[in-house]
Amino acid sequence: MDFDGVFADPNPQLPDPPPDADPSQVDQISSLTLEDAGDAASDEPTAGNESPPTNFHSERNPDFGNTNRDADPSPAEQMSSLTSENPGDAAGCERPAGNGSLHANFYVGSNSHHPDPKPEAPSRVEQISSLTLDSSDAAGAKRSASNGPLPSDFYLAADEIEIVEEVSPVAGDTAGISALGGHGAWREGSELDGEAPPSPSSSGYAGERGSSGASSGIEEVDGPGTLPDDWSRGKRHFDEDDGSLSWRKRKKHYFILSHSGKPIFSRYGDEHRLAGFSATLQAIISFVESSGDHIKYIRAGNHQVVFLVKGPIYLVCISCTEESYDTLKRQVELIYGQMLLILTKSVNRCFERNPKFDMTPLLKGTDAVFSSLIHAFSWNPATFLHAYTCLPLTYATRQAAGAILQDVADSGVLFALLMCKHKVVSLVGAQKASLHPDDMLLLSNFIMASESFRTSESFSPICLPRYNPMVFLYAYVHFLDVMDTYLVLLSTASDSFYHLKDCRIRIENVLVKSNVLSEVQRSMLDGGLHVEDVPLDSSRRSRSLPPQLAADNTIPEFSLSPAITGGPSGLWHFIYRSINLDQYVSSEFSSPISNPSQRKRLFRAYQRLYASMHDKGTGPHKTQFRRDEDFVLLCWITQDFELYAAFDPLAEKAQAIKTCNRVCQWVRDLENEIFLFGASPFSW
Amino acid sequence: MATIGNNSFNAKLVLLGDMGTGKSSLVLRFVKGQFLEFQESTIGAAFFSQTLAVSDATVKLEIWDTAGQERYHSLAPMYYRGAAAAIIVYDISRMESFERAKKWVQELQKQGNPDMVTALAGNKCDLEDKRMVPTEEAQTYAEENRLFFMETSAKTATNVNDIFYEIARRLPRAQPAQQPAGMVLSDRAAARSQASVCCS
Repeated sequence: MDFDGVFADPNPQLPDPPPDADPSQVDQISSLTLEDAGDAASDEPTAGNESPPTNFHSERNPDFGNTNRDADPSPAEQMSSLTSENPGDAAGCERPAGNGSLHANFYVGSNSHHPDPKPEAPSRVEQISSLTLDSSDAAGAKRSASNGPLPSDFYLAADEIEIVEEVSPVAGDTAGISALGGHGAWREGSELDGEAPPSPSSSGYAGERGSSGASSGIEEVDGPGTLPDDWSRGKRHFDEDDGSLSWRKRKKHYFILSHSGKPIFSRYGDEHRLAGFSATLQAIISFVESSGDHIKYIRAGNHQVVFLVKGPIYLVCISCTEESYDTLKRQVELIYGQMLLILTKSVNRCFERNPKFDMTPLLKGTDAVFSSLIHAFSWNPATFLHAYTCLPLTYATRQAAGAILQDVADSGVLFALLMCKHKVVSLVGAQKASLHPDDMLLLSNFIMASESFRTSESFSPICLPRYNPMVFLYAYVHFLDVMDTYLVLLSTASDSFYHLKDCRIRIENVLVKSNVLSEVQRSMLDGGLHVEDVPLDSSRRSRSLPPQLAADNTIPEFSLSPAITGGPSGLWHFIYRSINLDQYVSSEFSSPISNPSQRKRLFRAYQRLYASMHDKGTGPHKTQFRRDEDFVLLCWITQDFELYAAFDPLAEKAQAIKTCNRVCQWVRDLENEIFLFGASPFSW
Repeated sequence: MATIGNNSFNAKLVLLGDMGTGKSSLVLRFVKGQFLEFQESTIGAAFFSQTLAVSDATVKLEIWDTAGQERYHSLAPMYYRGAAAAIIVYDISRMESFERAKKWVQELQKQGNPDMVTALAGNKCDLEDKRMVPTEEAQTYAEENRLFFMETSAKTATNVNDIFYEIARRLPRAQPAQQPAGMVLSDRAAARSQASVCCS
């Protein structure tokens, strides 16, 4: 069970992200079902005269479910008008200029196969450590030649704004397009020339596009868990709507709307002023549904529009960040889950009674919760890993906390969680009750984002969508004296407040007496695992090295110099996910990735790595070694764990592999402190 | 009510009203002496307790500061059931919050404890220049409905302590010492058995 063993295979399977989504390939695919898609795309807004029934069967046929076409100018225009009405202004940037090769690929079909020109494009999975480094940097500024020349202004703009934030691997693709069609300004570069640039303090905006320079970037940087006041306060840019240039330039929009087209939530802007836009989204969805199919996403230029239909609730994400469809879909699902946590699925009944039901009042005061979740999409690995993480504590300390929680659970509490920010100190569930990591993510997000929980003891109905999406549980929430440490007791009884309050008092007494709280505080100050602490003792490990790599052991170095810039062999960061425990541990950020934009870039890189490793079409894969100009990324998946590691881009492969083995061993040595065992109600 | 000096009892007090009227601000001003210009929306309900000494007794107020959002409306009975007192809060600068307050009054009259001491608080009275609800109108309404009425400001602390103390003074003294915990326990046991069915 060693990394090296896996790598002994001289040709690890490539996760084969289709190379650059080059036009020819797209053309090829689209030619398959060009007609259907043509109808779909061009009829959509009027929908009137040409009825779909003729295509009905072929659309339903799974084999033809995915329509895809290289849009000719007219549908392309429609597509672009989708994301941005009013193509006249903005220096015509969102309009396909002339013969622009904007690809409006219309993908419908609920089957899993989708010929997505994978955003993976520019960075290639490599076998031999090559010196040519393809970049996956959104700026596209230093893009390697293979992607075609970049317009010089784009180059400059990118440089200046430091778009580095949004790691969009497809930048190559889009840069190519912009070079051809001249409408690349839609991209990051264009964010510069906005009218009235949004105030720098508005981090929802600044954070996402990361273009306002370091100062605003800082707030979203500070690592997992910190909730900078700025954006956690709730929605920004309430004055915007789809007519505002600034609104249209946002890199990532999320919408919730009802099946009648009524807006429910929008990340940016005032929902009520987005009614027209919402109706357009609804029209697209219902048009495809009217032909007995489901729309999954639309690709229009470098924008991707992802749809998710949940009964009477529609969710849409419009993004030009080049995250994969699966990633975006997962995010939209979490947003839906967050909504259920607040309202339960029984909100659907309101729509049964009145299809035109206006749901916005029901979500009043929860903007901060959604903003914070959306923010988590760019820092919290739990959002894509399907796992939770624990605060590192000695085994005895965690046991002590677990024991008192168990005590309480036996007295009729469904779940008892002691958490610190998004990290679990301990948790216990009543018999047979299991808590899903996604529910924990949504619950901790809800609590951390709602200031009101900090003022006193609270008692609130919440729903755990993975546990039971139909019912409310009653949550007693109390922040303890240690910063950001809180206790959540969940019960099914609406009148359990006084009992839960008593439980809390008992728990708190025990925690104080057994020094759990002071240990928690110390752990918070110490931080988690540091890559610098990965043991260098190679003698122990060398036993397990396969022969061809063992030779490297003769090189005695790599102990001193690399330690200055991270861990051994240029290790910068890692995430280890234990599959059986549904838990992950991630190292603290080392100095080479101390800056916010680098962290976000790394995060996106992990996200892509995860997506490519778990790609349903081509995966799952066991190993991946990838080098681009930012990092060497190494992923290793076994039955028991998944390891994601980032190294210095110049790191040697053999050394990197060796270090990964050490990391795994190290994590196993520490597992009693970094994972929660025993009390885990997750696998039963 | 000539009761003995060291008489002390608990009383449950609930604050109701539209969102953004300042319920949490009133409570925080009263309990902690704090005021935040931008108070976050309350989630569910927040619980506070504060002990007051009124002339002849010590009253331990258990205060439920409920969330004003519509989605929590159906939960309100959970909080006002068994309450000895209620403060219904509106914002003098928003007429619709006054209309909402009237609905709460009706609901309490229908559902609530008939002996409940009910106060009507016109909050944000520091915003005189934005006033939409005339004092007289609220005063008249309060008299018709046998509520006691005060205009308050959590920001300037105007009448905040007064309204809580006035409630404490008006609470019926002979109240049997409430033991919510005991009562709750039995209810909870019943509910728990249901729960175990639903989660298996």
